[in-house]
Amino acid sequence: MSHLLKNKNLEVAKIYDYVSMCTHCGNCKYGYEYGSENNFAAMLCVQGDKFNFDSYRGSRGKVSLARSLMHNRIGFSDAVAHVLFTCTSCGACQQMCETDIKPYILRMFEALRADAWKQNVKIPANIKAWSDTIGKNYNPYKEKHEKRLDWIPSSIKSSLPKKAEYIYFVGCTASYRQKEVAIATAKMLQKLKVDFTIVDDEWCCASPLLRTGQYDIAKDFVEHNSALPDKYKASAFITTCSGCYRTLSRDYKMDAPEGYADKYGKNLPNTKVIHTTQLVDEMLKKGEIEFTGKFAQKVTYHDPCHLGRHAEVYDAPRNILKKVPGLEFVEMYRNQKFSFCCGAGGGVRGGFADYSLETAAKRVKEAESTGAQVLTSACPFCYTNLHDAIEMNKSPLKFEDIVQIIEPIVKRK
Amino acid sequence: MARGNHEVLATLEQIVGADFVSNEEANLQPYTWDMTWAEPRMPDYVVMPKTVTEVQRILRLANHRKIPVIPYTNGTNIGGLCVPEEGGIIIDLKRMDQILNIDPETCYAVIEPGVSHAAFSAALKATNPQWKGQEFSKGFDFGWGVHPASASVLAMAINHGIGHLNGRIGVNSQLLTGMEVVLPTAEVCKLGSCAYSDSWHSFLPLPRMDGLFTGWLGTTGIVTKLGVWIFPIRPYRDVLSVSAASAEDITKYMVHWRHYSLCDEVTAVSWWLAQIPIVFPYHDKPKDAPEFYSYSVITGWSQEELDYKRKIWKQVVDQEKAKGTKLFDFEYPPEAKRGRTELPSRIVGSTKNYSKSCGGGIAWPGTFAPCKSWPILYEKWKEIYIRHGLSPATRFTDYQGAHYGMLRCMTPFNKRDPASVQAARDAMVECVRAGIPEGMLPYKPPVEYQNELNAVADAGYLYLETKIKDMLDPNNIMNPGKLGIR
Ligand SMILES: Cc1cc2nc3c(=O)[nH]c(=O)nc-3n(C[C@H](O)[C@H](O)[C@H](O)COP(=O)(O)OP(=O)(O)OC[C@H]3O[C@@H](n4cnc5c(N)ncnc54)[C@H](O)[C@@H]3O)c2cc1C
Ligand code: SF4
Ligand code: SF4
Repeated sequence: MSHLLKNKNLEVAKIYDYVSMCTHCGNCKYGYEYGSENNFAAMLCVQGDKFNFDSYRGSRGKVSLARSLMHNRIGFSDAVAHVLFTCTSCGACQQMCETDIKPYILRMFEALRADAWKQNVKIPANIKAWSDTIGKNYNPYKEKHEKRLDWIPSSIKSSLPKKAEYIYFVGCTASYRQKEVAIATAKMLQKLKVDFTIVDDEWCCASPLLRTGQYDIAKDFVEHNSALPDKYKASAFITTCSGCYRTLSRDYKMDAPEGYADKYGKNLPNTKVIHTTQLVDEMLKKGEIEFTGKFAQKVTYHDPCHLGRHAEVYDAPRNILKKVPGLEFVEMYRNQKFSFCCGAGGGVRGGFADYSLETAAKRVKEAESTGAQVLTSACPFCYTNLHDAIEMNKSPLKFEDIVQIIEPIVKRK
Repeated sequence: MARGNHEVLATLEQIVGADFVSNEEANLQPYTWDMTWAEPRMPDYVVMPKTVTEVQRILRLANHRKIPVIPYTNGTNIGGLCVPEEGGIIIDLKRMDQILNIDPETCYAVIEPGVSHAAFSAALKATNPQWKGQEFSKGFDFGWGVHPASASVLAMAINHGIGHLNGRIGVNSQLLTGMEVVLPTAEVCKLGSCAYSDSWHSFLPLPRMDGLFTGWLGTTGIVTKLGVWIFPIRPYRDVLSVSAASAEDITKYMVHWRHYSLCDEVTAVSWWLAQIPIVFPYHDKPKDAPEFYSYSVITGWSQEELDYKRKIWKQVVDQEKAKGTKLFDFEYPPEAKRGRTELPSRIVGSTKNYSKSCGGGIAWPGTFAPCKSWPILYEKWKEIYIRHGLSPATRFTDYQGAHYGMLRCMTPFNKRDPASVQAARDAMVECVRAGIPEGMLPYKPPVEYQNELNAVADAGYLYLETKIKDMLDPNNIMNPGKLGIR
């Protein structure tokens, strides 16, 4: 059987050379690692865990779909769109793959979604709804842009400089939904005496647009945000949101397949992008800051996919948690590169809320099984989903973002 | 686009629930092809049962309607065996994923078809061999292959899969202890000691009816439970390596060394298979490079045992060198050593070693052959492969039992190029044709190899095979076409 590229107009056809490297081995369908004491084995694909068929399980199903579409063996349909839009882009399949398609797997998912938008197929209604308004509101929550900074307490607002070394890039979720994370972050940055500001012309980082394949709309957002550091004479963005971190540090800056320099140019060449956990970890290591109180609870940490697998930041949050006085840190079975997604990413929380929350409930159960009292993470979007699942399932767990744990007890030396 | 027939779909939905059946092309297409040259063909439905009763009901429906049924677990058989020849129902057994029992005293386990190597190895490693509560050692082993860890243990074992203990205990179908099977006509049968009690320890001393379902490629029934022997993990292990100037030289050494039955495995790979990735398209090996590299895994309960095995191995190598066998010392690379001693492995099983950058195609003439024929067939195969622009990436492995074992040529090819696909297919079929008179038999054979076998098979063999198939599967619904006889 030969694979002839027939449907050359597809976005995914641009990376056909890589897609055709998949051997159909199925390594991506299940998580596995040999260990000296115990072997790790667990289902990591949230989509396959829910929808079962091979089309949904790991990247192999989507590669299969991509090829069948490119070879004109099947056409786009609502069922195809369902397969494409129920993947959370968690990257677990990419982690497992070892052949030459590996770096292109997430890019392939996004390209396929970009193609789906151009077809007469059922894009999830809620994704369509925010897609229609994001160009006006600059956020996917259908909130007014003018209200973006409403979360800032006046005490903080008054002390923010016009120009600063860091721009705290708050992100849409912390700005409009998990405002307590934004508040805790701003307070913490003040306590740490970081020279930062918050800007009223921050737009959505474009993560939801890129992850769901809305390339054309994303362009304006990338260009707009890329101009902010020069405007405010800042040398770095700092984010608490893992989605913003991934997007600003990779999509804006890097060549394909990690980033979108091929579409939008190499942006932010002189701007550092750091996650709050990296900043705090570094300051702790340098001895610049210290803890003045305790957090006497058993805590487990959920790796946000965008910070963990997408950007390989695994140690910084753990280093911090292990240094918090009184805090007993426990790992879930699925952690770090073998973590299990909270279920929100890739447009899934917006597009398929029930399935998204069902996935979060699985993760909450796993967190409960560690005996932890607190589930923490480093992403307001994971916060939304895990927190909601905790409430819906009346879990005894409490969710707190890592910034909320450290802010009350940290100080600059 | 939806396929199939609404009534059948509705009945399947009644059986397994609407979430576990689909007739949408979007969901069918991953089941239309695999890594081999097999022409993609659509099934009409995919169905994912959870229980034996559901399997029975699906087969009853299929029989009534005369719809083909293709058992499927992961589709990584490298033989196009799950690509439907005539449409029908893919029965994807992944939801039947329970490890039903690990008996650490009698040393067997009972598993369902959806249990992956990943899940099984994790469970076995966490169980300690013991007797009446007294633990002897840490963890159990099984014969792990070098395939993706997501592949099914059951599907591998019932199709004569080859694991890393092959030199010590044989191929995995020799480790079966009990079986539950749903016949094509939907009756459930237990085979072995489990037919009489809850103990799944052995088929013996009963008639070996499991033979009706092993090596049949899912054409005679659906195995829903399998008992397999498991083996205490030996804590000491090492890899012994040597290279050789020719296939003849390496075979002499391997047969001599395996004669003592001291190793878990002894394998040799040609220069082309030793390259990562396999050389594609073909080019000559460097003149001074050995033709073959061999590794042998030894394990033991103490350093002394390992030292003893190493001593005998050294004697074998020295004696062979003294006889003029052209063997050379070589250091086994640490990464490869880890791969051999840490199985199953997601790295070894990922196909990256075989197919990097070559276009997604992988197939093999994977065969069992007497060791005597290895050097003869290697020379023939090498000529055929080079003529087709392919590297003779050949492997020999001497199994426990008579001196016979694996002779296979792992073959990457470029699926984007029809000429590359054709060349690979032609070369492999020619190799099989050349091998059969030398005692070679392909395992998990694609239809093309079956046709080669059937063309020269003993008439009585084919008569009996057909008779058994007809008796068990009167409507020929089970994976039709794969045996080349119906
Ligand atoms: C890189 C690579 C290396 C490999 N190395 C090895 C190796 O070292 N050793 C080895 O043995 N194999 C090897 N293989 C082949 C293959 O991976 C194994 O045979 C594997 O166990 C097949 O499992 P699967 O779940 O993919 O089975 P599938 O491909 O889904 O099925 C295999 C066959 O079994 C039938 N079947 C499945 N389930 C049932 C059932 N319940 N009842 C009846 N019939 C059933 C199917 O119809 C089909 O004919 C390798 C494959 C790859 C890709
Ligand atoms: S990205 Fe995650 S959800 Fe999507 S296919 Fe891969 S493992 Fe599954
Ligand atoms: S995407 Fe990678 S791991 Fe998955 S089937 Fe393809 S090659 Fe294998």
